[in-house]
Amino acid sequence: MKASLNWIRTYADLPADITAEQLSHDLTMRTVEVEAVTNPADLVDGIIIGRVITIRKHPQADRLVVCDVDIGEEETSQIVCGGTNLYENQLVVVAPVGASVRWHGEGQRVELAAAKVRGVVSNGMICASEELDLEDLFPPSEDEEAEIVDLTALFPDACPGQPLADVLGLGDLILDIDNKSLTNRPDLWGHYGLARELCAIYGGTLRPLPTYQKPESAADYAVSIADPSRCFRYDAVVYEGVRPEKSPFHMRRLIWSVGMRPINIIVDITNYIMLAVGQPTHAFDESHVRNGIRVRTAKEGESLELLDGRELTLLPSDLLICDGGDKAIGLAGIMGGARDSILPETRNIVFEVANFEAIGIRKTASHHRVRTEASMRFEKAIDTQRCDLALGIAQQLLSEWQPGARLVAAGAHRARETESIELPVSLQFLNVRSGCPITAEAAAAALTPLGFGVCFDGRDTLTLQVPSWRATGDVSIKDDILEEVCRMIGYENFRYTPPAITLGKAVRQLGMESDRAIREFLAYRAGLQEIFTYPWVDDSFLSITGGKTDSLVSLASPPSPDHHYLRGSLIPGLLEATVLNSRYYETYGLFEVAQVFAKGEVSLFTAEEKLPLQERRLGLALAGAEPFPLFRLLKGILSQIPRFGRVQGWSFAPVGDKMPWADRNAWLRIVSEDGTVIGSMGLLSPKATADSGVRVPCVALAELSLDQMVPLQSRDNRFEHLPLFPLVEQDLSIVVDEKISWAQVSEAVSNHVHDAEFVEEYRGEQVPEGKKSLMFRFRLSGETGTLTAEAIDQMRSRLIKKLKYTIGAEMR
Amino acid sequence: MTDKLKEIRLAGLEAFAAAETSDQLELLRQQYLGKKGLLTEILKGLGRLSPEERRQTGQLANEIKNQLAGAIESRKEELLANASLFVQPPDLTIPGTGMARGGLHPVTQMCYDLNDAFRSLNFEIFSEDEITSELYAFDHLNFPPGHPARETMDTYWIEGTESKHGAERLCLRPHLTGGSVRYLQKHGAPARFVYPGRVFRNESTDSRHERAFFQYEALIVDRDFSFSSGLLLVRTILEKVFGREIPVRMRAGFFPFVEPGFEIDMACQVCGGEGCPVCQHSGWVEVMPGGSPHPNVLRAAGLDPDVWSGFFINIGLDRLVMMRYGVDDVRLFHSADLRFLEQFR
Ligand SMILES: [Zn+2]
Repeated sequence: MKASLNWIRTYADLPADITAEQLSHDLTMRTVEVEAVTNPADLVDGIIIGRVITIRKHPQADRLVVCDVDIGEEETSQIVCGGTNLYENQLVVVAPVGASVRWHGEGQRVELAAAKVRGVVSNGMICASEELDLEDLFPPSEDEEAEIVDLTALFPDACPGQPLADVLGLGDLILDIDNKSLTNRPDLWGHYGLARELCAIYGGTLRPLPTYQKPESAADYAVSIADPSRCFRYDAVVYEGVRPEKSPFHMRRLIWSVGMRPINIIVDITNYIMLAVGQPTHAFDESHVRNGIRVRTAKEGESLELLDGRELTLLPSDLLICDGGDKAIGLAGIMGGARDSILPETRNIVFEVANFEAIGIRKTASHHRVRTEASMRFEKAIDTQRCDLALGIAQQLLSEWQPGARLVAAGAHRARETESIELPVSLQFLNVRSGCPITAEAAAAALTPLGFGVCFDGRDTLTLQVPSWRATGDVSIKDDILEEVCRMIGYENFRYTPPAITLGKAVRQLGMESDRAIREFLAYRAGLQEIFTYPWVDDSFLSITGGKTDSLVSLASPPSPDHHYLRGSLIPGLLEATVLNSRYYETYGLFEVAQVFAKGEVSLFTAEEKLPLQERRLGLALAGAEPFPLFRLLKGILSQIPRFGRVQGWSFAPVGDKMPWADRNAWLRIVSEDGTVIGSMGLLSPKATADSGVRVPCVALAELSLDQMVPLQSRDNRFEHLPLFPLVEQDLSIVVDEKISWAQVSEAVSNHVHDAEFVEEYRGEQVPEGKKSLMFRFRLSGETGTLTAEAIDQMRSRLIKKLKYTIGAEMR
Repeated sequence: MTDKLKEIRLAGLEAFAAAETSDQLELLRQQYLGKKGLLTEILKGLGRLSPEERRQTGQLANEIKNQLAGAIESRKEELLANASLFVQPPDLTIPGTGMARGGLHPVTQMCYDLNDAFRSLNFEIFSEDEITSELYAFDHLNFPPGHPARETMDTYWIEGTESKHGAERLCLRPHLTGGSVRYLQKHGAPARFVYPGRVFRNESTDSRHERAFFQYEALIVDRDFSFSSGLLLVRTILEKVFGREIPVRMRAGFFPFVEPGFEIDMACQVCGGEGCPVCQHSGWVEVMPGGSPHPNVLRAAGLDPDVWSGFFINIGLDRLVMMRYGVDDVRLFHSADLRFLEQFR
């Protein structure tokens, strides 16, 4: 919301010399966030008044003329102009050389230089309103093609050379306030409320507003509210003999300076009132309103055409303004109907000042997607008393600016009044919760200027009367008072007190520690990069990885149509990230820790709350050139997680079904000590590799449940004694059937060696079809002394015999 | 013969001193002291001498032999002491070779830094599920019915539940605070915990707005806890994270779940408070809302607001990381792009 300091000053005595910085800082610290402060005069920096002295035809161009313009200097200035409404002695707006304008109202502003226009020197330009971003203030008339701004009638006393900003009175500070920080303060959606706040901050006095008087001559006007739970108050005032012409300039300027477009005096007055006190009002052309006003909810299937031309099919919960004939003439609190706009020929108006229930307005506005300045304010819950302020301002403005208009009838239905709230608050409470001593005087000094009634019992209790404009939900409990007092004293003025809390037992959280240890292991030992991906998955990656969708949880309004499902696995997201990075890298590893979701009904807190299944998982992806080494690398990383992450160990086995995305020859399940499958790993199948478009030859993926890992109390590996006698290390190459696995070899030799370690596999020349060569390294230890060469040979040949006997191994 | 021996000694000592490598020295040793070396050759003529001469010459020969052997050894020591692995000195301006790749996400790093800071103050670390219900996301947090955040526009509701209410209307958590109520319901008060996590908002994205982002919530609930103590806590934490004192200010702010509520700003670390585009030229950056839990929130957690009060902050982790490194686009955090992430090892 934008607010003008000049406007605020009409209600409040504030220090004359407040700077933009000071104002912005103080208001931000105490009340609402000021995002920017601007001065409208900056728009026309360097722009001055000129008087056209002579007008000559341009020798080279029919559409241009050459003017001599008095710009307050000794000599007139020659300016070439294409304006069609020029005349001698006209007061015009001149952009001299050096000033900047928006050429034809388009593009960036450019700085003017002295130039020749079709061969004739032009020292600047005579401006149209759009060239200075003033088109809302000086709207070009529709029949004139190239109209320049004519100030002769409006400002006859303006002097050539005078800055335009001074003549128009543009010098002001416009505060741009963050709407979000105003959400709970319906009283601040108008200048009067801000004036009150600034008076409280700077110690100024707030001037009272005019009050409304129904003339004795005025007739009664029929107003009825059919649903008093939705409309608390409706006042209708009928004026005859209005002339909806242009508003006086200073009114237009005020409305324009805070970002609204001036229309005509009647519409401008309704906007002015809203901007002044935050109370939306509306004017109907009386010729469309027959026999009074009726406020009711819509009927099933009823429709309404709005002022902006949209045709709405209404819901029974929508609230309507109807005339006495029950014809809908407006969507209550949001927008008028199409047929009731105030046109230049309008002579009689019905002026609406009403109060509507907030939630209903919000529902209707959001359902039909019509959010207006009015609905935004009603949604915040306005006090009914504010209608009186609006009526008072309306009456004063109309009598001032439309002396021909007469208030001929008025009527009201006042169903409910915003109740004032009385709150007892203890000083002790304020002291303890702020952490600082607050006296009754200090509390009163903070609250009184804000409109609170303050009464102190002399001991500990302040009894506060909450003003109506703060009593619609904003201030209702003693904690709200604490906030009011503290923010007005200023949070920056509180000293910091150390908390008086006792230290309990040291916090120990094994799961959290394992989680971090695992991530640090993966990042700093295994060389993988942690990533985060969105919980919604891309449909195409879902189908590439063969994810079933029937068990997936989905979003009601997804971020995009093909990101409908929430992930049931980390694999699709990891694959997508792998594909993305394959454009720049050849070998890399990624991991992600995140939750996955599946349909289900989990009630941990209340029976009614049935949450889906949610599990924290760890996902890994490796990209590389060679399939089997990549698989082994992933397996190696996974097997070391328990050690480094300090969780119970696991094993690998090809149990259950293959994962849909995995190569049929390279996948394993991860099985916990109690036999539960807690994860899986494998190479991405050639089909999925091709479908994904990944630019690396091979991708290995793994996923395992973090929730099913069992953190250990401490590290659990036992110390091993160093060997008493030196170990002897030897290599052995054997040829075995293809179907013989390393696990079988390892099992066969286990009783004969200290330990054995796989070295490599080989297939090809010198190895028969259907066989493979397998090389491993083993170590032997002597029990009673260093092994002799003889003993070693003996042990080796026993080993060879055992291999031949158990798995049919031949030596190579 | 004595003269010859002395000649050999002289020549040997000269040759050894001139040797440049231990290989050369080894050759010289062979040449002078080996089985077929000069010394041995000469001593072959020893038999022709008288016993007295033989004794004297033998003594001299021995002396020379020891002397030469010693000279070889000391030259060897000398050579070793001055030895280098390089014949040509290498180009030491060439950079060192890289370490293994890999690293934690910058948000995780920041989270761990905060965890360490809070753990040192004996806070517990809490985590909760990402899908929650309207009951916890809004009702318990004093969001009035019809609050705009409850609408589809702002929150990701779960399909099939979007038109239900309360506990039956499910969503991706729009903030962490609802989870804090779960913690309090489970563990009661006094409580002191932090709660890092990811939250989701249904909004259009740009360099400052994301649909998924990270928050870090800290909550103390105790008897008569004052907010001025809370601010001290904030300062302590920021100081730990940034390693120096960070100017902090607390100003009025409104959030339904706190009363009083604040915005907590820190001095912009990009410009040092001078004003820059990151802080929109104010010198201050909004990093966290905070406040005392609203009495209705405490009630929802099963606590008596007349007994318990507290302090709550909710740090925007993304914003803090952006501050730390000068990152200018929040969307990079979810990009999974190694070219970005590898910068934060
Ligand atoms: Zn800055």
